[in-house]
Amino acid sequence: MINSRNPSRRDLVKLGGQGLAAVAAGSLGLSALAQDAKKLTVISDRSNPNTQATLAAIAKAFEKETGVSVTINFIPLEAHKTAIRNYLVVGPPDVCFWFSGNRMRSFVKMGLFDDISDLFAKEKYLNVLGLAAEAVTVDRKQWGLPTHGMPWGLVYRKDVFAENGLTVPRTFADFKIMGDKAKTSGLVPMAMGTKDMWPAAGWFDHLNLRINGLDRHMSLMNGEMSYQDPQLTPVFDRWEELIKANFFLPNSTSFGWQQAGAFLVQKKAAMMNLPPFVQNIFPENERSLLGFAPFPEIVPGVGPFENISYNSIHIPSGSKNKGLARDFLAFFYRPENLVQFLKSEVGLSPRNDVKEPPNVLLDQAREAFKNIKGSAQFYDRDTDPDMAQVGLNAFQEFMVAPERRKAIQERLEAARKRIYKT
Amino acid sequence: MKFWKLHRGWLYPFFFLLPAVAIFGTVIVSSAVQSIWISLYTWDGIGPKVWVGVDNYVELFQDAQFYTSLRNNVIWVLMFLLAPAIGLAIALAVNQPIRGMRLIKSLFFVPLVIAPVAVGVIFVWFYDPSFGLLAKIFGWFGAPSPALLSSEKYVTISIVAAALWSQIAFCMILFLAGLSGIDESVVNAARVDGARGWKMLYHIVLPQLKHVNFLAIAVSVIGALRSFDIISVMTQGGPFGSSTNLAYQMYQQSIFSYRFGYGAAIATILFGGVAIFITWYLYRLLRDERN
Repeated sequence: MINSRNPSRRDLVKLGGQGLAAVAAGSLGLSALAQDAKKLTVISDRSNPNTQATLAAIAKAFEKETGVSVTINFIPLEAHKTAIRNYLVVGPPDVCFWFSGNRMRSFVKMGLFDDISDLFAKEKYLNVLGLAAEAVTVDRKQWGLPTHGMPWGLVYRKDVFAENGLTVPRTFADFKIMGDKAKTSGLVPMAMGTKDMWPAAGWFDHLNLRINGLDRHMSLMNGEMSYQDPQLTPVFDRWEELIKANFFLPNSTSFGWQQAGAFLVQKKAAMMNLPPFVQNIFPENERSLLGFAPFPEIVPGVGPFENISYNSIHIPSGSKNKGLARDFLAFFYRPENLVQFLKSEVGLSPRNDVKEPPNVLLDQAREAFKNIKGSAQFYDRDTDPDMAQVGLNAFQEFMVAPERRKAIQERLEAARKRIYKT
Repeated sequence: MKFWKLHRGWLYPFFFLLPAVAIFGTVIVSSAVQSIWISLYTWDGIGPKVWVGVDNYVELFQDAQFYTSLRNNVIWVLMFLLAPAIGLAIALAVNQPIRGMRLIKSLFFVPLVIAPVAVGVIFVWFYDPSFGLLAKIFGWFGAPSPALLSSEKYVTISIVAAALWSQIAFCMILFLAGLSGIDESVVNAARVDGARGWKMLYHIVLPQLKHVNFLAIAVSVIGALRSFDIISVMTQGGPFGSSTNLAYQMYQQSIFSYRFGYGAAIATILFGGVAIFITWYLYRLLRDERN
């Protein structure tokens, strides 16, 4: 520790030498890459080992077909969120994974993603994509391909529901009855882990979509509606009702979603409000017991609108092989390859001409969402990233201290005014 | 050659100093100056910079989170000052010539070997309200487990306690080294004069540890001010920002909210705080060296 703070001159000279050597090696590597047009680099944030293997297999097949060698670099999901800002500017790959919606839009606005409308036109993707195409569209142009959608809903164990005589709630009143009954059986009604903050926003989204509907939800997300608007009062009211009735796992801020999900696995909680990837924490032989239910109706006649978060794949505007990158995207997006990818990730197919692999939760979600009238993505993809940071913090706080509602709404509104400059 | 002979008086020091000055200048000084400069703009890190003058600072001083962060930094510094005291106590205890002390010494040394991130993870498990060791201990007494990392009141104290674990070990090593350098003859002479126990410690041992003591305090204060990694691992500054300190807030604003100007303003304030401390430290150091 002392050494690192008062390094000797010799140490510094050594350090400088190493640094120069590293820089030299780095620039050599880059220029070598640039000269060889038959090479493609991909950066992926999909850390699930099955997906990594699947992507490697797809890359290999592409290599075989075109003779272009593909290198895939994997960066863990959370680290990738910060790394992408650097590499898009200093050393963009040819293809990268990201999230659609507003998180994509902010890079589009900075001019860091390439417009791939030409690829959409050539491959006629708009005919097969349906709603998912909106997630990657900005100013009527397409800036990426949605890879898989994650429908948000209530996940539960059918055996726990049967053992405790619980019924799947269709309305908010049912929901409260279910919760009270769960509590008398010694279950936590809703498993909840807000250590990483974002799961709390799932509640805000659902409540607002069920009470105010999609249009007003989106105008809030786009910064056109005040966070102190009286229309939001019933949203916070319903939420507070649930919090005050002890519906949520106590000390939820201490748990990540996986730890909170353990309560569901161990039959200590009734339900959890997340996308189907929750199944990954269940032992394989218990996954068939899982049930998926849409969030209950609150105001009759509103919706149904749901949250479906789409992840996506993009071509950075700094890519040196934009043509090849388009070929790779088209190859990846062929139904037979996309199916392999969907098998490894737990997600809905963005293409409607794909025969989707069977999956217990997704099959139920697809059925439940058949008649939805529209969909949002998720709070941190639907609103500005800066606003999302403030919002996620606020929702986490509200779930712990609902009595601070007024101060929280004031803070949200101040942030909205600053970010959207109204 | 003539030129060299004529000027080597200043050329030698010039060339020897050049690498160090150049690297220190680019890595430390110019980036510090640049970040003060950036704090006068709004900037998303990629797009164009927009000059806003002191607006970032005006907003900062109205930001409730800033005062929470500042308070947490003060808690960090005050609690970290326990490290030299406890470190000294442990050093004195394990410095006894007793069989098996070597083993105990190395056990106390262990936390220093563990990376701060790993220390954070260990303590997250320790504090876990459902199956952590702390919850188990409370369970033995029939008390409900406290969720320390979920409590606005205790979260910072709990994180500092985790960080102290290795900081104490570090101070202990410093003091052990200091103790081994104590002049035996003085100690023996004091013993002949009848000094024992506290008197021996206070009048003979401690004065000789003055330099080590100073160093331990300085290192602890700087360590407290730059604490970041362990917060990131244990709580990510939460719940809702109540364990965020200035360094973490700067990181969050810059990286997650894409507000480099605002982040730089926080960095500048932190820099000011550290600069005051370092000035005091250097002043003391130079004064002692001159005497």
